[in-house]
This record gives sequence, C-alpha cells and structure tokens, in this order.
Amino acid sequence: MSLRPVSELLMAFAVQEKHYPPSLLSFFIYNPKFGPREGEEEKKILFYHPSEIEKNEKIKNVGLCEAIVQFTRTFNPTKPAQSLHTQKNRQFFHEPEDGFWMVMVVQNPVVEKQKDGKAVFEYQEDELLDKVYSSVLKQCYKMYKLFNGTFNKAMEAGGVTLLKDRLEKFFIRYLQTLHLQSCDLLDVFSGISFFPLDKMTYLKIQSFINRVEENLSLVKYTAFLYNDQLIWSGLEQEDMRILYKYLTTSLFPRHIEPELAGRDSPLRPEMPGNLQHYGRFLTGPLNLHDPEAKFRFPKIFVNTDDNYEELHLIVYKAMSAAVCFMIDASVPLTPDFCRKLDSLVGPQLTVLASDICEQYNINKRISGSEKEPQFKFIYFNHMNLAEKSTIHLKKTPSVSLTSVQPELMKILGDINSDFTRVDEDEEIIVKAMSDYWVVGKKSDQRELYVILNQKNSNLIEVNDEIKKLCATQFSNIFFLD
Amino acid sequence: MSAGASRDVGMMAEVSQSSDLAQGGSVEQEGADHQEHIENETCPETLQAPIDISEVEPTNTKLEISDKESHHGDEDDSRNDPNHSLLKAATDAINEQCSCTDGSLEDKPKVSDETEEAPSFMEQSGGLVEEEEMSNGGLKRDSKETTKEDKGSLDAGECLQQSCNTDGETDIMYDCSQPPQPMHTTGEEPLCKDTTDGKDTEMIHEKSPEQSNIEASPNETKLNNGLMDSEQRQLEDDYKELADTASDNTLEDSGDFPGISSVVGGVTSDASPPTTPVQREEDVTAESWRTKRKHVFVLSEAGKPIYSRYGNEEALSSTMGVMMALVSFVQSGNNAIRSIHSDAQKVVFLQQGPLVLVSVSRAPQSEEQLRKELQYVYYQIISMLTQASVARIFERKKNYDLRRLLAGSEKILDSLLDLLDTDPGFLLGAVRCVALPSPLRDSLSSILTKAITPNLVFSILVAEQKLVTVVQERAVIEDCRLDPADLHLLLNLIGASSAFQAGEIWTPICLPRFNPDGYFYAYISYLDPECTVCLVLLSTDKESFYAVSGCKKKIQEAMEAQNSLQALAGALRCCSYSVSLVGVPELLHFVYKPLDIPETYRQLPQFTSPETDGPYSSEEERQRLFDLYRYLHCRIHSSARPLRLIYHVAEKETLLAWVTSKFELYTAFSSLVTKVGAINVITKLLRWIKREEDRLFIRYPPKYSTTPVPGKGAKSSKSDRTDSSQNGFFTGL
Repeated sequence: MSLRPVSELLMAFAVQEKHYPPSLLSFFIYNPKFGPREGEEEKKILFYHPSEIEKNEKIKNVGLCEAIVQFTRTFNPTKPAQSLHTQKNRQFFHEPEDGFWMVMVVQNPVVEKQKDGKAVFEYQEDELLDKVYSSVLKQCYKMYKLFNGTFNKAMEAGGVTLLKDRLEKFFIRYLQTLHLQSCDLLDVFSGISFFPLDKMTYLKIQSFINRVEENLSLVKYTAFLYNDQLIWSGLEQEDMRILYKYLTTSLFPRHIEPELAGRDSPLRPEMPGNLQHYGRFLTGPLNLHDPEAKFRFPKIFVNTDDNYEELHLIVYKAMSAAVCFMIDASVPLTPDFCRKLDSLVGPQLTVLASDICEQYNINKRISGSEKEPQFKFIYFNHMNLAEKSTIHLKKTPSVSLTSVQPELMKILGDINSDFTRVDEDEEIIVKAMSDYWVVGKKSDQRELYVILNQKNSNLIEVNDEIKKLCATQFSNIFFLD
Repeated sequence: MSAGASRDVGMMAEVSQSSDLAQGGSVEQEGADHQEHIENETCPETLQAPIDISEVEPTNTKLEISDKESHHGDEDDSRNDPNHSLLKAATDAINEQCSCTDGSLEDKPKVSDETEEAPSFMEQSGGLVEEEEMSNGGLKRDSKETTKEDKGSLDAGECLQQSCNTDGETDIMYDCSQPPQPMHTTGEEPLCKDTTDGKDTEMIHEKSPEQSNIEASPNETKLNNGLMDSEQRQLEDDYKELADTASDNTLEDSGDFPGISSVVGGVTSDASPPTTPVQREEDVTAESWRTKRKHVFVLSEAGKPIYSRYGNEEALSSTMGVMMALVSFVQSGNNAIRSIHSDAQKVVFLQQGPLVLVSVSRAPQSEEQLRKELQYVYYQIISMLTQASVARIFERKKNYDLRRLLAGSEKILDSLLDLLDTDPGFLLGAVRCVALPSPLRDSLSSILTKAITPNLVFSILVAEQKLVTVVQERAVIEDCRLDPADLHLLLNLIGASSAFQAGEIWTPICLPRFNPDGYFYAYISYLDPECTVCLVLLSTDKESFYAVSGCKKKIQEAMEAQNSLQALAGALRCCSYSVSLVGVPELLHFVYKPLDIPETYRQLPQFTSPETDGPYSSEEERQRLFDLYRYLHCRIHSSARPLRLIYHVAEKETLLAWVTSKFELYTAFSSLVTKVGAINVITKLLRWIKREEDRLFIRYPPKYSTTPVPGKGAKSSKSDRTDSSQNGFFTGL
C-alpha cells in the first residue's frame, strides 16, 4: 500500500499529456524535368518551405516523392500515389499540371507522455483524413492559380525564374493561413453557402446588377454576396468556388474586425453633394480622394482551361452586402472610374443591403421561433456547390469553430469517403462509442450529414428524427428512406 | 497383408517407385543409405551431401524399428499412391539436378538404376517395410538395416529434399544440438565427413570438434536456441570453407530449417519440385499482372525477394529493390513507412524483424486489414521457420536468400492468401466449426481426451478444413488458449499440402501467436480414405512420435467402435446450412460471432455463417459480399474511431453491423427491408442462433491433463537423439 502514493503520482504524470495538433512540416513544388541529370537535382525544386532546410535534405525529400510516384506507376500507370503514410507524418501529392508536383507534409497529431521522467511522443497515425488534406492541397493550387495563373503560363512568360518568384511570393504568405488542425469535411466540399431569399428581393438584386453592368460597360462579371453568403454570380462555378473561398476566409474576415469595433462603414461626410451611403472598396484605394492613393486592384485568373482571362478584382461593400466587379485586366483602372463606380453603386447598395436585412429578419422571425434543434447537420449539393452547416459556428481566418466533438467530425469524414466508393444512393447510420448517432444520406448529387444529440434513442427513433429534419429543412429534396 | 500385395505390384513395371512409396516419408533416410551408394559411383556433389545426413541417423534407429515392427505389423498402404507421385516428382527433381550439375548425363542413369534396385530391397525387407509405412516417414531409419539398394530409391527423396533446400547438414546440426550423447556424436561425426561433399571433407573434420563441443553444452535441451547456436557455428564454418556461394547457401539452408520446408517441398513436388509453379512465370510487365486484385510480396531487408504472389520473384527483384529502398529511406529519417494510397489501390508495408512484407491491393480494404493480412503471411512463414531462426539467419548473413528455406512453401502462402480473400474467420479472428449435434461432438471430444500421452498439449479434430473439436491440455496451457490465428495457419498448412494425405506426418511446427520462437511437434493424419477428417495432435516432445501415433490408434479404434466417422460424415453432409433455415425471407446472409463465452472457458473464438447462396451464389457476388463485410468490419473496429452499430442502406442490399458485449453480428438484408423490418429480422435471427447454439458452436471445450512421466527422460535420452535427427526427415515427405 505504501506504493500507492507513488502510483497516484504517476497517474498525475500520465494526465499531464500534451497534445500537439497536426502541423505543416513542409510544402514543396518540383518538376522532375527541370533537373533530369545527376548533380542538377536542385533545379527540380521550384519552391520549398521551410526554405532554411539544407539543400541536400530538400533534394532527398524530393527524391523520395519521385520514387514513390514512380513506384506506384509500376502497378497503375495512370493513377499514381496521392498520399504516403508514415509513422510520423503524411505526405500528400498533387500533380495539377503535367510534370509539376505539389507535396504537402503534415505531421500526425502527437501526444507527449511522461514515462520514467522522459518525454515520450506518440504519433496518432489514424487521425488525419486523407480526403480532407488532399482537398486542402488541391485548394492551395487553385488559390495560387486564381491570383497567378497556371505554372505553365508563368513559364511561358518568364521561365523558371518568374515561376519561382511567383511561387515564393504567394506561398510564403498563403501557407500561414492554412490552419491544418481545423480542417474537416467542409474542406472536402469547399462549397458555397447561399443566402436564402424571397423572390422580390432576389429580383431587386438582379435589376441592380443589370443596371450597374449597363452603366459600367467595363465590368465583365459580377458577384453579389450578403452576410458572407452568395446570392448571385456571373462567374463559372469552379472559379466562383475558389473566389468565394478567398472572400470568406481571407478578404472579408480582414475587414470584419474594424466593423465590429464600430469604426467601419462610417457615413462619409467628406463627400458632400453625394447621397450618403456606406459603400467602400475592400480592394483598391481606401480613400478615393487621397491623391496619393494607388488605384491598383488584385488581378485574378479565371477560365484558365479555355479563354484564360485575367481580370481586375474590385470588391465593394456596403453594410453586409458585398459586390465583386471583375474587369478585364488589360484595361487600366483610373481614379475616375473608381469614383464613378463609388457614386453609382454606393447609394444603391446601401439601400439594397438594408432591404435584404429587413427581409432576412422577417424570415428569421417566422421560422426562428423554434428552440435549439436536437440535431446538427451539414448539407452539400454537388450540382450547385451549395453548402449548409449548422455544425460550424463561425468560420474565421484562424479557426473554424465546430460545436461537436472532433471524433464525430471525423466520423462524418469517414462516412463521406464511404459514399464516394460507390456511385449510388446510400444511407449510413452509425452509433459512435460515445453513443451519439451519426447519419449520412446520399441522394443523387446531394449529401446530408446529421449528428443527433439524443444518446438513448434507438435506430427507429433516429430514423424518425431524420425524417422530421428532412421534412422541415429539405422538404423539396428526395432522400432515400 | 494387403501391403504385401501392393508391393508385388510395385515390383512390376514401376517397382522402384512403388517401393519408395511404401516406405512413405522414409524416403529421406533411405536416401542417405542410397547416398553411400551414390558416392561410390561418384555422384555429383550436390547429391552426396544429403546422403550423409541420412546415414547419420540410422545408427540409433534400429532399436525403435524393431519395436515398431512388432507393434504395427499390419498397416494399410493407402499412402502408396501419393507417395508414388511424390517419388516421381522426386526423381524428376533428381534428373533436373543431375542435368544441372556437371556430368549430368552420367549421373542420371545411375540414379535410375538405383531406383530400380530398390524394389528388390523392398521385397527383402518385406514386413519391415510395411511397418515403416505405418510409422511414417520418421521411421525410415530402418533403412539403416536395409540394404543399399533400398537407399537408392530413397535417394530420390533426398534429392528432392535437397532441391527444397533442406540439406542433410541440417539434420546433422540437430543431432549436435541434442543433449550430450557422446557416443552418438562420435559415431555420427565420421558419418558427417563421409556425407559431405568429397571436396570439403577436410572442412568437415574441422567442424566435428566444434560440433562435439556444442553438444556438450548444457543449454541445448530446447530446440531453438541450442540448435541455432550449433547451426550457426557450423554455418560459419561452412562459410569459411566454402568459397562457392551457391553451395554456401545450400548448407546454410539445411542448418536452419527443421523440416517443414521439406514437407512443403514434397507438396510442391507434385508439380515439379525446384521449379516455380506456372503462375509465377507470368510476365511481370504485362497488364494482366499489373491489374491483379491483390499482390503480396515478401522480401528481406537486403531487398532480396522471398515471395511474390504473382510473377517470378527473380523478375521482380528490381521492383522489390525499390520497395526496400523506400522502406529504408523512410527509416533513415527515424520514421517508418506505412502505406501509399492512390485512387485505385493501396500499397501497405509491414516490417517484421528482418522481413518486409508488402501488399499492393485494388480490393476495397482498409490499410489496417491489409496489414493484418500481411501479418498472417508473416506468421505463416514463422510457423515453418520460427521467428528466432529467421532472425538468426539474417543476423548471420544479411543478404541470405530465404527462398532456399521456403522453397515449395509458395503453395502454402498462395493458399493462405486465397483463404484471406474468402474466409471471414481471418477477418474476425475466429474459427468456423462444423455444425454438429452436441452429443456427437461431446463423444468425439471425450475420445480425444482419453487418448493422451505425456507432453501432448492439443488434440484437434478437423473435417473439411473446419473445426470439429479441439481438446487442450489443462495444466500446461492454463492461461493460454489456442489462438485462432494459429489454428488458421495450421489448417491452411494442412489444407495446402496434399502430402499430408499420405499416412502419418510428424513435423515441427511453430504456433506464432502462442510462441513465435518455439516448435511444437504436430502429428497429422487423416482418419478416412477420402481425407475429409483429419486428426492433428500437438506435442512438445519431438521424440514422442510413436507415443502420439499410439494415441491416434486409440482414437481411431474408439471412433470405429462408436461408429463416429460415419456419424461425422452424416453430419458433414448437412453441416453447411442455407440462410433460409432461419426462416426470414428478408435475410440474405449473416456472420455471427458470439462473445458471451463463459469466463472459465477461455475458448477459441468462433463464428458461424450460412452458405453464400441466393443472390450471392456467383463468385463475383460472393466477393462483393465479402468486401462489404470487410468494409463493415473495418469501420466498426476502426482503431481510431470504433463504432457500436452501422446500418447501411444501398441499392443492392441493406447491411447491419452490430457489436455488443454478447456478440458481433454482420447481416445483409434485401434492400426493400425497412428499419423496423430489419430489427424484427435481427430479433428472429438471434433467437434462432440461441436455439442452434449447441450445434453451431463448441460451447464447452473439454480439457485433459497429461501428467508428465518423470521416468521417461532417462529412458528416452538415447532414442531422443535419433528421433531428433530424424525430425527433419520425418516431416520431409
């Protein structure tokens, strides 16, 4: 019995486990064709993060990736490796353009335990979901492409030097925004949240867009968002998908904090003679009347598969309504144009935004009276990329807060990958060890995932709950019973 | 005297062969004698080496033989046929070898002469031979008594063995490892010299002192360690002496491999011993090879190919080299490679000691499951070699070619991999029992419990690869139970080798889950001419062949008296059942594994499932269903995120997987079933299983206790030697 205190002490030690979330170990881009000869391996490497890694180490790691890809080709020439699992990490491979490989190495979550006074690291090898992180990697490329165009275009324009330059500039900043510990099923979908709207308001928005496009003939495409949710877009779906990602995870959040602090959208008394409005540019000049202001807007690349268009991206916001105007990049944007846009769009958008807000509040009052539902869900439609989640409280640039246990989120991921195995309608109901019920339904192109809070219910009760949910939230969608 | 009759036949045209057969497994020993013969005639060196070994043994054997004669005078010659084929194979092998070796042409004719001579020997020995048959290959020592001609026939066997890489040397090694028996050893040493290649005689001389030292060392009572030491030393010597790498290898092999390899060799020999089976000739660059559903490779840490499920290992050596390079590259970063995933396939790596196993699979299986399968493959290899010996071999020589020891065992691994793709038992870690009325099973069990001998630890009765009953020693294995994996491997070994159908087999076998470093001695014998019912007796005493064989006799007699075999045959006919028996039309198929095992009976995990009929009667659909079960199993038993229940509705069927404290159940319903309906079906199914429980499962496995006989040691010590030396041979064919 005298040993007991000791064991208790040990217990206490055991409790002092440190958990380290998954983290980005390295990220590199290479093209084997650039250094085919021995001794020239370094030339293959176009970008390597972290850059301070020793040259030989970089070459070795790239070599391993090449070997893995080559090895899997002996068994399946057309579908080479996508990921490599090791005890300590996972590497994800992506070949977005012929010969160009992007590799992301993510360290497995680690639990640090104390054993005999020494720290022991246990790598949790089954925690990362391949599909999630493969999607993250693919998104990296898409985001790069949105702002820089394809690798091949850069090669055409300025050779390896230009490409390396662009990769460096983009990824050094972008990689810091990858918050690998909070990636989940939503990264797989990378869908678009649509703002629900009545027909009248929707028509108002339509006519607003038509008017603006008519008056500003330079505008090639327009997108309209409210409350970080999309209402209308003239872009191709895939382009809008990544632009939406940029707006909601990067641009909007950067401007939201000042708003919250009450400094945002000030009335602009300095513009006498104009109708008072709340409009302002989120990209481009902060102050239109500042003679020093530079009228430079970010450029984006869309339709890279066919027309390959380069566009100025103007994001203009009034209250919760944001409009993106995209203008051919070959046209220089003058201060005059910006002032014209501001005076044309600002007042109208301000009115429109308050209309939508009003409408939104009415709708909320009608349906919002019910108490906290017994379930949380994620919905995704592959056809229009529509996504809806009641699991994610808030998506900020740093964290996506979820209201459920991480284990359950991973079960959702598992169910999602089960759905992709077979191309048919399916329903999967599982009961987790924590006694939560998780339901996944796939019907046509739509997927619905529900987590139920009632731990003690049985399969039939769960089924009834799901039916109720479908009836209230998705009354017009047929799900397999 | 049916035996006699058969012999006569043998004397006719194919006389030589039949005589070999009659002697059953004994071939090897005879081979030894034979070798003398051969030596005289200046046979190729390769042939000679094995011969020596066999000669060594005979000295001790004589006594035993006489005993046997008296006991087992009349036995059936059922073995003859298989042996015959074996023999043929063996001769083929010899021929091949001869052709390979220099002056092959000359050698060939000689061999054949010898074989022809054999018959005459057979006649002479007459009764003796019969007895030998009874007693199995091990008995072959008799050959000592027998004349040289006899040995001639055996020679073939020897050669075969050799081709399988079991060398005469091995056996010598064993002898050495035996507890000190100076007399024997000295006697043997000269033999050894004689036996080894003429060239190396000097070497051998040098060795012998070492060997004797080894023998003297006290630790060597237990097989592995002691043995290995001695073996290794000898191997070392061999290395020094043998510049030629090829011969090097053979010698090594012989040292390390106790005997199963030879069994295996015998098996493969059906086709053509040393050469690879047809499927291995497949073009490894062809699309058909590339798109195989599941490849499995085994290689050594030096990147040497050991096994490939499809295609010739030799042709794959560069691919395997790449695999090893990947493994060691990742390892150099203080890390370990686990798997590579791409759209259509997974590559899973498993490192076990000095072996690397790789699975390249297009099957929809989880990484975990594929790794478990590789683990089974590793265990199967270990079951033939033991972990310790594999470790030692590679400690000694990093680039050792393990195929030398495993030659012929491809068939066993092939069959294991086929089973893994069809038998849910591996997935569930449970065995399937023959459904039997419980009184019948009880009576069979009690027959087994009564036929015991010291050091017998497991008595297992198997029918059509399914378990009828297993009885285990109470005291020795109080805390352990037979692991289902070990039983699977054992059954696979038996099932994959038609050689086991020939008479009685005595072979060392390792149960890797029980103890990866030690051998049991398995006595394997079919009880009926159709080879459906097989008796496996596991002993810890390698000398106990006769005692265990006696148990079998007892068992057989008791079963005859009770007419058990017929009853069993009757039960087997209706043993597999259709799911319609449950009486619920919505139920298409199920797999049920009970978990409510009484605490006191740490019994074998079991499962039951009906035949795959109805919608699953085609091979393709059966595979699809099995894949669905695998999917359910991997999700519900996921190491990171296990689940309690999965209900899966798809177009073709609705699936349910459910794990409770009482059972584990996987079911397939017709896709039209509603959730309420499914729950009703489950209720009915569980009720049905409860009713049938006693028939479907072994509920209370009986145990026995074999009190050790203290006196045995002294008496047996002498004979031990011989037995041990024979061990390799026994199992040999």
